[in-house]
Amino acid sequence: MREIEDFTLIGKTILRREDSYLLRGKAQFLDDLPEPRGLIHLAFVLSPHASAEILAIDTAAARALPGVIDVLTGEDLAADVPPYAPVIELAGYRGVARPVVARGRVRHVGEYVAVILAESPYAAQDALDLVGVEYEPLPAVATIADGLAPGAPVVHEALGDNVIFRTRFATEGFEARFAAGEVVLEEEFSLGRVTGVMIEPRGCMAWPDPIATGITLWTSTQIPHIVRTAIAEHLGMAEANLRVVTPAVGGGFGTKCHLYPDEILVVALARRYGRAVKWVQDRREDLLTNVHAREHVLRLRVAVGRDGVIAAADLDVRTNCGAYPNHPFSPTLEATAAVRMMPGPYRIRAYRYEAASVLTHTAPTGAYRGTGQPSAFLAIEGMMDRIGRRLGLDPAEVRRRNVVRPEDFPYVNVVGVRYDTGSYLPSLERGLEMIGYDAFRRAQPADRLVDGRYRGIGICNYTEVSGTGAPGWRVRGFARMPGFDSSRVVVEPDGRVAVYVSQADAGQGHFTTFAQIAADRLGVAWEDVTVIEGDTAKTPYGTGTFASRGSVVGGGSVIRGSAKVGEKIRRIAGYMLGCEPSRLALGGGRVFDRDDPGRGLTLREVAETAYSMNNLPLPQGEEHGLEATDYYDPPMVTMANGTHVVEVAVDPDDGRVEILRYAVVHDCGRVINPKIVAGQVHGATVQGIGEALMEEIVYDGGGQHLNASLLDYLIPTAMDAPDLALGHIETPSIDTVAGIKGAAEGGLTGAVPAIANAVGDALAGLGVSITRVPLRPSTIVGLIAAARAARAGAA
Amino acid sequence: MSRARVTVRLTVNGRAYVREVEPRYLLADFLRHELGLTGTHIGCEHGVCGACTVLIDGKTGRSCLQFAAALDGASITTVEGIAGEGPLHPVQEAFHEAHALQCGYCTPGFLMTTIEFLAANPDPTRDQIRQALTNNMCRCTGYLNIIEAVEDAARRLRAQEGGA
Ligand code: FES
Ligand code: FES
Repeated sequence: MREIEDFTLIGKTILRREDSYLLRGKAQFLDDLPEPRGLIHLAFVLSPHASAEILAIDTAAARALPGVIDVLTGEDLAADVPPYAPVIELAGYRGVARPVVARGRVRHVGEYVAVILAESPYAAQDALDLVGVEYEPLPAVATIADGLAPGAPVVHEALGDNVIFRTRFATEGFEARFAAGEVVLEEEFSLGRVTGVMIEPRGCMAWPDPIATGITLWTSTQIPHIVRTAIAEHLGMAEANLRVVTPAVGGGFGTKCHLYPDEILVVALARRYGRAVKWVQDRREDLLTNVHAREHVLRLRVAVGRDGVIAAADLDVRTNCGAYPNHPFSPTLEATAAVRMMPGPYRIRAYRYEAASVLTHTAPTGAYRGTGQPSAFLAIEGMMDRIGRRLGLDPAEVRRRNVVRPEDFPYVNVVGVRYDTGSYLPSLERGLEMIGYDAFRRAQPADRLVDGRYRGIGICNYTEVSGTGAPGWRVRGFARMPGFDSSRVVVEPDGRVAVYVSQADAGQGHFTTFAQIAADRLGVAWEDVTVIEGDTAKTPYGTGTFASRGSVVGGGSVIRGSAKVGEKIRRIAGYMLGCEPSRLALGGGRVFDRDDPGRGLTLREVAETAYSMNNLPLPQGEEHGLEATDYYDPPMVTMANGTHVVEVAVDPDDGRVEILRYAVVHDCGRVINPKIVAGQVHGATVQGIGEALMEEIVYDGGGQHLNASLLDYLIPTAMDAPDLALGHIETPSIDTVAGIKGAAEGGLTGAVPAIANAVGDALAGLGVSITRVPLRPSTIVGLIAAARAARAGAA
Repeated sequence: MSRARVTVRLTVNGRAYVREVEPRYLLADFLRHELGLTGTHIGCEHGVCGACTVLIDGKTGRSCLQFAAALDGASITTVEGIAGEGPLHPVQEAFHEAHALQCGYCTPGFLMTTIEFLAANPDPTRDQIRQALTNNMCRCTGYLNIIEAVEDAARRLRAQEGGA
């Protein structure tokens, strides 16, 4: 269906309809929903220890507090709320389950130890201080290195050690290919631990249906269908008796595409008490307990020819899993993403990798915008610069010599991922041109010093996995990841259109863009299309909104669903008009004869026949109704791509990095709404700037979390957001519906390596090697001091 | 942990309210849960994110850090009061046209900050806008379209002034 050429609204900027209520403060986020009568408010007692035995819990004083309904410990919940675990079918993965509320042992700071049930949030908070928990602290490990050390405390005794996942891969004849390289370079790169920090923390509310046996769970999630299946299965409920609804969701970024213990618990307690149960997370809990991400160490070795062409690459990745596998992905997500994505836009044909995920006494890690890709590209893009420096080649030239070239498409990379189309070389050239790369290099002084600050340019070419279909999830062992998404497109009796989509918006603008797609395909006014999603009772089943899949899979399904309804409209209208359906076109709210546009019907007239609201018969064999449901399972993955080129100035005295100029070239195939795509690029890029320069969750060696507030965990403000020059290339996919590729993550993936490389370029003359993000001022001052000391020592 | 209640009189979006609340009851909770004005959002409850920003006697303030009782007699404007049921305020319009919001959770706070800022700085530079916006955090937009929107809102407000 990619050959569609007659788009009318797809590709145009339409201003968002959701703004009308968001701007007036009328959106209903989780904590804005009307509260049912008799609502129970929850608050959790959090473990202050990274690793400890729970000796005793005294709840008497808390229970005695007016307004407190009950206080429950893990023991109290053991009978009906068992521990839960993701379903992963991948060699090398050894699963362990996570308790909803701890029993006997705590394994990270912030783990739920007891839950307060109260009549008001204030009473619940008061009660928290009255729960007495006696702990026996135990030795803890916080880092990958400590988790792997011989004799390290073991996080889950049943596993015997802390390696929860290990995988290996090598192409045939790898050793020989590697040995054939003329120069070998090796570097270890690492990324600090970060997290999503949606401005709306999570929250959930379970509400027993007053007239049936079911429960409705309102939750601030990106994956309502997956949440429903998992909770129903876990609590032994008929799936039909659980309805999961997402209210307005205040940002997700991957953090909200996991199933969390509290979501299970509110449903279990609503069932137990027959009352509505609500929990709203505060920021401290967000930073302590929501999934973290990254904290990867990547050792990359490459064998290179003197011409700078990579002959073979060898990658060893370690990720910090935290204390429990996240649900539904498990720690295999980031590990397998990093190793599978590392070849990226480059023609690497001999490849070996090993990946391991290590349990520690820290919060579980999981999905976050970019998943594995910022890490993979920090390594390979950092290596491109090192190859250039070693061989005396310009770093841009090294990339040119290695990149998958236009004539190579469609290209299957070394781990079997198909790149159907892409603009890797044009995107690189465009980015270099936008920043004036050659002129910069000519003017750049050997010592890089301009007005007292070191200047450098960094480049990152990236590929961006998007729209992962079932085969893409299966190959990585995600047994419960559907891969498809779906839509039900309905022409209502009034001739207007309703589109029910299996996804869940968290700010991406689905209510605008999916309406745009359906209006385009059905030839109706955009205003006449209503989009409904984020409700398992109303929408067909699907995967959800994460990993840059909304436009590819949701959008693709709406196009296919609309086409199916369009066929039915033509059949009925053809019968009504007495002409061949194939002669009919849709447009202007009508269906009409292509060659005689005056001859036609309004959609309402067709709908009246379809819904038996007149005396006209349907064609032989045609059923009533005017709708279609479509389940779209896209290809394994669809690769978007782009290039970031950034110029920085580094102040050697205070270690501050200033971004002077920033060019982003992005190619997400067919664009649905350019302004919304630009917004995704801006947002992701600035998140990447945060990850590159400031963000890091810090644990001390004993697993104590040191910065669980927004005063201490820094995210970018407007002062940290540089102006971005955006270059847009549109290379439609030949594998997906309408050629759409995803757009949400490339900005972050491109930014982290580009900025690290820019700082590396600026400080190269000092002998500073940039191998780790975030590059906070103190880090940079330290690196410069160490490099100077080393030089002084050598001199 | 006294449960004694105190009487609070507040004018919110031009309407007078009298309520009995605990002395420790936060202004944000008062607006959201006593009055049902849930457009004021809570993002951190420790004074950093700015999602809870409202105008207190015309000046921006963090409603998550103030006790309702301490503001007895004050006049508050929330996002619901900017345009009421009428056409969008020029700042809201500018945010809409610049695509300055994605999830929109931070937006009410940004609108409040912008209204106060532009009242004092009708013709700001981009740098001044960036400075002013550090009052608020947004995780979705990367701020660039918000900066555009504030520039555009300034133009709209100046045109309105000039035209009036
Ligand atoms: S909620 Fe008040 S500043 Fe964040
Ligand atoms: S629009 Fe989502 S936080 Fe600002």
